[in-house]
Amino acid sequence: MKKVALLVLLGAAALLPIKYGVAQERAALAITVKDHRFEPAELRAPANRPISISVKNADSAPIEFESVSLRVEKVIGPGASGTVNVRPLAPGRYEFFDDFHQQTRGTLVVQ
Amino acid sequence: MVTTNKQKKIGTLLRLSLHRPVLNVAIAAVALFACRVSAQAQDNNAFHEIETKYIFGTFTVGSSTGIEGEKAFEPETQAAFGKRGGGYAASATTLEFEYTPTQYLQIIGGPIVSYYNIRNVPDLDDRNLATVSGFEAEFRSVLIDRGPSPLAVTLSVEPEFHSRDETSGAKVVNYALDVKLEADAELIKNRLFLGFNLLYEPETTRGDLGMWSKESTFGISSALAFQIVPNVVVGADLWYLRHYEGALFDSFTGDAAYLGPTFYWKIAPKMLMSATWQAQIAGHEQGINAAFDLTDFSRYRARLLLEFEF
Repeated sequence: MKKVALLVLLGAAALLPIKYGVAQERAALAITVKDHRFEPAELRAPANRPISISVKNADSAPIEFESVSLRVEKVIGPGASGTVNVRPLAPGRYEFFDDFHQQTRGTLVVQ
Repeated sequence: MVTTNKQKKIGTLLRLSLHRPVLNVAIAAVALFACRVSAQAQDNNAFHEIETKYIFGTFTVGSSTGIEGEKAFEPETQAAFGKRGGGYAASATTLEFEYTPTQYLQIIGGPIVSYYNIRNVPDLDDRNLATVSGFEAEFRSVLIDRGPSPLAVTLSVEPEFHSRDETSGAKVVNYALDVKLEADAELIKNRLFLGFNLLYEPETTRGDLGMWSKESTFGISSALAFQIVPNVVVGADLWYLRHYEGALFDSFTGDAAYLGPTFYWKIAPKMLMSATWQAQIAGHEQGINAAFDLTDFSRYRARLLLEFEF
């Protein structure tokens, strides 16, 4: 029983050192959804820095800004704005989309 | 009027099709699906990023930990069939609530409802019973993020409590801890994935005589998953499991290898299903000269998961 309790503690401890980035200034990006399209459709950001994306919904229907690889989602009402914060990323291309209108898609290029 | 063999065959087919509307619908559905596969498989732009957690059928779990703020309800049923003689079926359905509080951590928990249908199985009491049988929680944390490397790794720690023995359904007090490394690699972008899991599961059980006994299971898996059309993934999953008495692999009792197909379907943006059926294709039980280990493991096993995001 003690061994199992020890294993539970070790397992829990293993979850603690989760890699949160040290305090760094966020790279600020902005994007608008209009006529079910992202404008611009491609965003660019520096690598290994936290990112803040301000999303404005200029459409008359709600949107859900979502990305599997960025691991973020946010519902934004018609005419409203919202901000999503993204962890520091390695260089690469990261897709995002509107989960309520799946054809509305864009890309974040991290360099 | 002379009827040729060819005309007879056509007549037979026509009669069959008239008398079998269900068959007609099935043939039409398969034909439509085949057309869709053939058309969409050519268009790589139709394939987008996919969360890998459930694409390997859920015995092998992918590395994705969900999207920050995401909440979901996930009924997941695991079933086991077949022992050495008699009739054996047992299932455990976990009514899971899943929450992703950060981009690195996912928390899951819920009660377990079990069903046992056991008749004339050597060393097991007959039982026909459905009952709430325990509770499990799971904490999943990203260890290696998918970035420039196609490999991603997640650590899963899953403490469990059971008030019924998972195999026999007898009343027990059981504490278990599933510790899993869940890794996957993207071989072809958004299309082909390779998954690996490493499992260590120690558990301790108090039976009806009041004595505590410990056991442990070690497992390793490899799975391949191919997104055949957008939002539909098919594949195969191979597991090798070793069972021991004692929490730290003290005394080997048996091993088993399972192989089976997997199926994943993202039905709607907020709803998915994942399923697998696996057969024990090789195994050995210590001290018994027979094919398979049917004491520590079952002849067949299956899993079905539904996810409803809200």
